[in-house]
Amino acid sequence: MLTIDGSRGEGGGQLLRSALSLSMVTGRPVRIEQIRAGRRKPGLMRQHLACVRAAQAICGAKVVGDSAGSSCVEFRPGPIRAGSYRFVIGSAGSTMLLLQTILPALLLAEAPSSLELEGGTHNDMAPSSDFIALSFLPLLRQMGAEVTLELKRHGFYPAGGGQLQVQVQPWRERRPLALAEPEAVAWREAVVTSAQLAGHIAQRELGRVQALCNWQSEWCRSEVVTSAGPGNVLSLRLHHRQHATVIERVGRIGIAAEQVASLAVASWRRLVAAGVEVEEHLADQLLVPLVIGAGGTFRTVRPSSHLLSNLEVIRAFSGCSITLDQQATDVWSVAVEGAG
Amino acid sequence: MKTVVIGLLGTVLDQRGRSAKRWEKWRPTLSLCQHEDLLVDRLELLCQELFRPLAEQLVADLRITSPETEVRIHAVEFADPWDLGMVYGALHDFARGYPFDLDQEEYLVHITTGTHIAQICLFLLTEARYLPARLIQTSPPKKPNHQPGSYQIIDLDLSRYDAIAARFSREQREGRAYLKGGIETRNEAFNQMIAQLEQISIASTDPILLTGPTGAGKSQLARRIFDLKHYRQQVAGRLVEVNCATLRGDNAMSALFGHRKGAFTGALSARSGLLKEADGGVLFLDEIGELGGDEQAMLLHAIEEKRFLPLGGDSQSRSDFQLIAGTNRDLLAEVRSGRFREDLLARINLWSYRLPSLRERLEDLEPNLDYELERFAERRHSQVGFNRTARATYLQFALSPEASWRANFRDLNASVTRMATLAPGGRITQEVVTQEIARLRHNWGGTDTPSQGDPRALTAPLLEAATHAQLDYLEHVELAAIAEVCRQTDSLAEAGRRLFDRSRERKRSSNDSHRLRQRLARYGVEFEQLRRAAKGE
Repeated sequence: MLTIDGSRGEGGGQLLRSALSLSMVTGRPVRIEQIRAGRRKPGLMRQHLACVRAAQAICGAKVVGDSAGSSCVEFRPGPIRAGSYRFVIGSAGSTMLLLQTILPALLLAEAPSSLELEGGTHNDMAPSSDFIALSFLPLLRQMGAEVTLELKRHGFYPAGGGQLQVQVQPWRERRPLALAEPEAVAWREAVVTSAQLAGHIAQRELGRVQALCNWQSEWCRSEVVTSAGPGNVLSLRLHHRQHATVIERVGRIGIAAEQVASLAVASWRRLVAAGVEVEEHLADQLLVPLVIGAGGTFRTVRPSSHLLSNLEVIRAFSGCSITLDQQATDVWSVAVEGAG
Repeated sequence: MKTVVIGLLGTVLDQRGRSAKRWEKWRPTLSLCQHEDLLVDRLELLCQELFRPLAEQLVADLRITSPETEVRIHAVEFADPWDLGMVYGALHDFARGYPFDLDQEEYLVHITTGTHIAQICLFLLTEARYLPARLIQTSPPKKPNHQPGSYQIIDLDLSRYDAIAARFSREQREGRAYLKGGIETRNEAFNQMIAQLEQISIASTDPILLTGPTGAGKSQLARRIFDLKHYRQQVAGRLVEVNCATLRGDNAMSALFGHRKGAFTGALSARSGLLKEADGGVLFLDEIGELGGDEQAMLLHAIEEKRFLPLGGDSQSRSDFQLIAGTNRDLLAEVRSGRFREDLLARINLWSYRLPSLRERLEDLEPNLDYELERFAERRHSQVGFNRTARATYLQFALSPEASWRANFRDLNASVTRMATLAPGGRITQEVVTQEIARLRHNWGGTDTPSQGDPRALTAPLLEAATHAQLDYLEHVELAAIAEVCRQTDSLAEAGRRLFDRSRERKRSSNDSHRLRQRLARYGVEFEQLRRAAKGE
């Protein structure tokens, strides 16, 4: 059985999720040891447990060690079963990370799947559903994969309770991803999404973005949504021809609105300075789909520890070649050879 | 294992209004189900009917935040939540009626919500195991934006905390009865005997006779009688202990009664003797049955007259002592065979106590085990204790019929000393116990090696080991008997006649040789072979 040391690299949930994804699509059993060993609360947290159980449901896996706090999980996958599923995650855990875990398997299934997800949708520690819909899924579409996502209700931390509907079509025609040349910027926008919070918070965030970036007011907008609990997220979007690059910051109690905006702008400036079309988190998300698809190339900023850990897991599972090539201080070209 | 939390609705802390602001506030019951590392599969929420709307709002928020958690509301009524009797009664009823499933579920009792009285009641019910649970305490975040705060799980099984276990044993040691040496003995007969002995020790200065098998604790008891008398200021002198088995010949007389200078060759200086040393105190003569005839006569005289003549002396010494005699012999039988003086027995047999063997008071084995451990700890100045499973294993063996405790408390003392010495870090582990049990089995002869007289031992040289191991006990008995007859005879026919001595009478034509040959074939042996083996040829 393939063994992954869960404490290596970024040593967090990403190793577990990638290992689960790849175990499902390759059919190879995997044992993940020392899960999150270096963290303050080591072992499987509820959001990771939800990913293990969702993966188990989709391929009928035999699982050992699926309990909160467990430091070792053995996962023996069975055949992938397309269908209708409903998964819920407590404590506002990210539905998008759960989707990331099971999506590769569902793309390789013979029939379409329909997912109903409940839990957190906008969380600082994970890509939001907006990020997935605007940034990630359009690139999957370029690669020939049809996935649609509909956000029915926002789920902010700490209440959670967000709802999403995801449709996955079988991945018939796998095309390589080609994003090697910088694309002309179509347009940019700053969007604040809030629930059950005073209106001045959104205004202050947008005001700071305008002041820092010299953006025109018509590029800024604020949306009020219904949600179980209060919440606020600032999203800076750079729309390319087919996808958008999205920088997000979730507002929290104890952090001033202006501070939220400043942090988002700092990330934005790094991306603009590098002139790449795939930001740090998106690069991370793309690796597994590229490996099981027809491969491709893209440019991104300096690889994060997440990305490097992801690479290690992928190499453990498959012989696909992935090359990283530094082109400038903060510009790296990633070339992935796909299996499909 | 599913995790189930039982807790009271917090009518103050869980009550944070209906606006969105409530999500910013810490709510203990909600926070239970918000921890990333604690998955509550079910929450049993106890609340008064009056607060049901609040409970339902909380349940709705819990469903959003923790969809994995099933929440059940239970109505409990206490008119005054500060009345201990009332609250305890209501919670006790809940606990008694709750279908605990300890194989499938583990329980946590949430003690952060409810009045202090309710918290005390939950604690008491958990401590008394009406709620077979651990306690969980939730705390608010140190900074307001760090929901859900923290939690702590508290196990009330104090035996799991080594430091507390050591403290308990220290407290138990204080305030214990003298004679039992602080051992909380449970054997009814023994306790009655001790109760009477206590009275005698205080009220009488007559001799006391302690009988019982070796290692039953006669010396220990004699010392405690002295300690008790000393404590009650009944004796001014000291305790003098002698094992009569160590006294032989002239030396015996001189040791007991003393001698004058030059009384015999080598008596270079005068010696006062043990009886004199015990003046005003207690003389314990262990193994009194070993005492020679002359010494017995002198002793009787000394007891009756409180005077005796030292060896080679011409004036009598005076000594007023209380005699405690110990023996594992049947002194009546010794008297009948002429080895013990009848008049001496009559004199010392006034207060006679027979100490039961350890096997006769197995219920006292456990307290004695603890006592031996404490004694060891005192000697070495460090605590020694069993791991819980190790203790259970040891006791199971110690109380089983297999444990013969041949030398009684002496065996137990030796056994504890060995285990305590080998205990790593002061904890006697399962491994140490396993080794000790093997050692005891070996010391007591074990069951694997049959003792002399066991037919299995008799048949062992007659058969192949594999065949030997397969036979029933009954077959060993039969074969041993056949072998014995074969050993005494020279022919198959003769052996057959003896072995079938009754049934052959009833047969018209008896072929004893044939019958015996058939019988032996069952064991795969032949007559000649058996006869030679039985004769040791």
